[in-house]
Amino acid sequence: MKKFLSAIAGFFHGESWANYKKTLRYAFYVILHPFDGFWDLTHEKRGSLAAANTITILAVLTHLWDRRFANFMVNNTRWSEFSIWMNTLGILVPLLIWVTANWCVTTLMDGKGRFLQIYMGTAYAFTPYVIIGLPMILLSNVVTKEEGVFYTYFNIFALVWSGFLILCAVLMIHDYSLLKGLVAIIISIVGMAVIMFVVLLFFSLLSDAVMYFVSLYKEILFRMG
Amino acid sequence: MKTKRIITLLLLLCLVITSMPLTAPTALAEDDDEWYTYTYSYWKEETASPNAYSVTNTLYGMDIDPEIGNLNNPKGLFCIGNLLFICDTGNNRIIEAYKDEEDGLYKLSRIIYQVNVSTTVADAMQYGGKVDNTLFQPTDIFVKPMTEELRRSYGDYLGDPYIYPGDDSATEQGGDAEPTPTEEPKEDAADETETGDSGESGDGGESGEGGEATPTPTPVPQQGPKKDNVVRKQLDNEMYDLFIADKEHKRVIHCDYNLNVINVVKNPVDDTLPKNYEFKPNKIVADNALRVYAQADGINSGLMEFDQKGEFTGYVGASKVVVSLARKIWRKLQTRAQRNRSTQFVPTEYNNLSLDSKGFIYATISAVDEQDLWAGTATPIRKLNAMGSDILIRNGNSFPIGDLAWSSKLPSVRGASKFTDVIAFENETYACLDMTRGKIFVYDFQGNLLYAFGGIGFTRGRFSQAIAMDNLDEETILVLDTTRGTITEFSMTRYGKMINEALQLYKTGYYDESAKVWNEILQFNGNFELAYVGIGRALLRQEQYKEAMGYFESAHDIENYSKAFQKYREEVVEKYIFYAILALVALIFIPKIIRKIIKVRREIKEA
Repeated sequence: MKKFLSAIAGFFHGESWANYKKTLRYAFYVILHPFDGFWDLTHEKRGSLAAANTITILAVLTHLWDRRFANFMVNNTRWSEFSIWMNTLGILVPLLIWVTANWCVTTLMDGKGRFLQIYMGTAYAFTPYVIIGLPMILLSNVVTKEEGVFYTYFNIFALVWSGFLILCAVLMIHDYSLLKGLVAIIISIVGMAVIMFVVLLFFSLLSDAVMYFVSLYKEILFRMG
Repeated sequence: MKTKRIITLLLLLCLVITSMPLTAPTALAEDDDEWYTYTYSYWKEETASPNAYSVTNTLYGMDIDPEIGNLNNPKGLFCIGNLLFICDTGNNRIIEAYKDEEDGLYKLSRIIYQVNVSTTVADAMQYGGKVDNTLFQPTDIFVKPMTEELRRSYGDYLGDPYIYPGDDSATEQGGDAEPTPTEEPKEDAADETETGDSGESGDGGESGEGGEATPTPTPVPQQGPKKDNVVRKQLDNEMYDLFIADKEHKRVIHCDYNLNVINVVKNPVDDTLPKNYEFKPNKIVADNALRVYAQADGINSGLMEFDQKGEFTGYVGASKVVVSLARKIWRKLQTRAQRNRSTQFVPTEYNNLSLDSKGFIYATISAVDEQDLWAGTATPIRKLNAMGSDILIRNGNSFPIGDLAWSSKLPSVRGASKFTDVIAFENETYACLDMTRGKIFVYDFQGNLLYAFGGIGFTRGRFSQAIAMDNLDEETILVLDTTRGTITEFSMTRYGKMINEALQLYKTGYYDESAKVWNEILQFNGNFELAYVGIGRALLRQEQYKEAMGYFESAHDIENYSKAFQKYREEVVEKYIFYAILALVALIFIPKIIRKIIKVRREIKEA
């Protein structure tokens, strides 16, 4: 037991914990100095996957808490239809598809970034959504309907900021010019649609194939019996 | 050994698969009988409601009186007092019945086939070259209580009765059997001879001035009722004036209760009307200034308005055509043939109208685009003021458009609701009759759906083609089914009465009392969101903000919740502001004081 505790204490005093804290704190620098920040994030290794994961999880939690705890005047959630898993996947799956599509596209377009670096950059870009979204949940519970526009506008502001950061991340990680970055993003979005289409097609065909064998089996059973 | 294992495995697999259900669970049948009465929730889902109206009677023509026989394609229905007028359009007659207060049965009062023409109005009653006093496919009747003053404004209309050239009875029969609705009206040609005849042979029959006080001999000899109480009813209703939309004779006849014609509205002349325009009135009302508003075939610029003399004065409630950008683009892309086939962008055509007690016209439009209904831009019900603009309040969760969800596939629910009639009650609630589903939707004065009921079917309270309705009193609705020729009587249940009571109490300012009634309503129907709002509002008045917020949240009433929340927030802030300031002051000063003390101590130490 003592050994275990000391191991934990050792971890918190260790180098990896210090590095984690440093990389997480670096997110604040990134969102205020996006060009410098995203360049150093990958090229100078000032970001870490652990911090990126943390920000992603916080973004998911922000979204869930927003649905759950935001005041009902600004929150039109229908609880009978609400699914925590669908809401979680609603963020994580598009993120995964985005990173995949962007990686595929930028590989063909002389992008310098690797898969995990794209993920890291996108995750760091979520930071404004978290740091604005969380206080806004609290704020929504002390404002009237008329004052609720603050909630709406600040959330829109956060999303615009995050979007801008994603653009910066693509530019810096892949070392693109602005035009090339925009083109890459557009193609990536098309790529996302293609990926979704292919996945749906795959599952549709798979279920058709399964159904074929099931009906074949039923037919045999019917003939025999 | 190996083959054995494979065989057992296969058998097991077979067992597992056969144990699986082979058929999918049967899809839920589209079941109309599930809920008879319902409302819509905030999420626009149908939620069951207790019956607000129950069917108390279904009448065929025979049930009122064997003399009536079957109704043939009746189109219009009008109730006033305890009187009930049915326009038996296919039989070219109007049936007047009354509800006997003693036994609650409907009894025949008289059957109107024709009206009485005096020489003063003989010119106006010309049709097809001769004076025609019969009704030809009457589609609507409007009955207006008259005062002496209003009656006097018409002057003396009771001249000598017009004598028809030739045999009296022969012309009557000819009039009844007149088969050609498309006959051209050529009044001018035969005009002079007719009036000449009438002038020469004008004597006998009814006396001039006594028309109002003494009942004239019944104009329809063979159908005249003999019962005493019927005659009494007629006497009571002396001052009712009848406006009859005599559609195929292309006129609106205005006559007194004894069927003496006072005025005729016909042949409107205006630049906006085509040269060969045939005035075919479908539905009519007459307001307190004795203006007649008519909804006529082929008119899409609104309701036609006629002054007291029967002159056409213009349109009321014309609606602008608004074409969305997407439609414009789509239209550009279509071929000429497609464009011709698709619906034209014409202004909407009204299909019915009725008058409320304050003189506003409620009008319905059935030719609305389904996409406009989805978008919320269509207004199938309108409340028109004197200027002809729509002043209907639409503050509900959804607009008053009838059913909120429809499909074109399911057999029993085809397309959007199409309103064919509307009635406005005293308390500003209004009921709309939906022909597509045979449903009645009742909305309150704010446009909230109170309840909807009815349906297509063969059981009591369902219709095959409901076409018209009217309210006998504030708690009885009569609905006319045109294909079956039936009249269905709906009477308000306790639940419906409670809703009316609560609305009335709230409107007159008795908020606490209305909250009590809303609470009772919740015992009947816990899904009724309007009740939560009603209670919440009462609580808001009583300054119980926290409780009010709860009720508003249940009803998803954001506006009122916000109001209650603002008050509640003020309350909380007022309560704790002192402590908050105290804490703030403490936070600012205590560190300073401590620092000071430390400093002083250090100085003392050093000194």
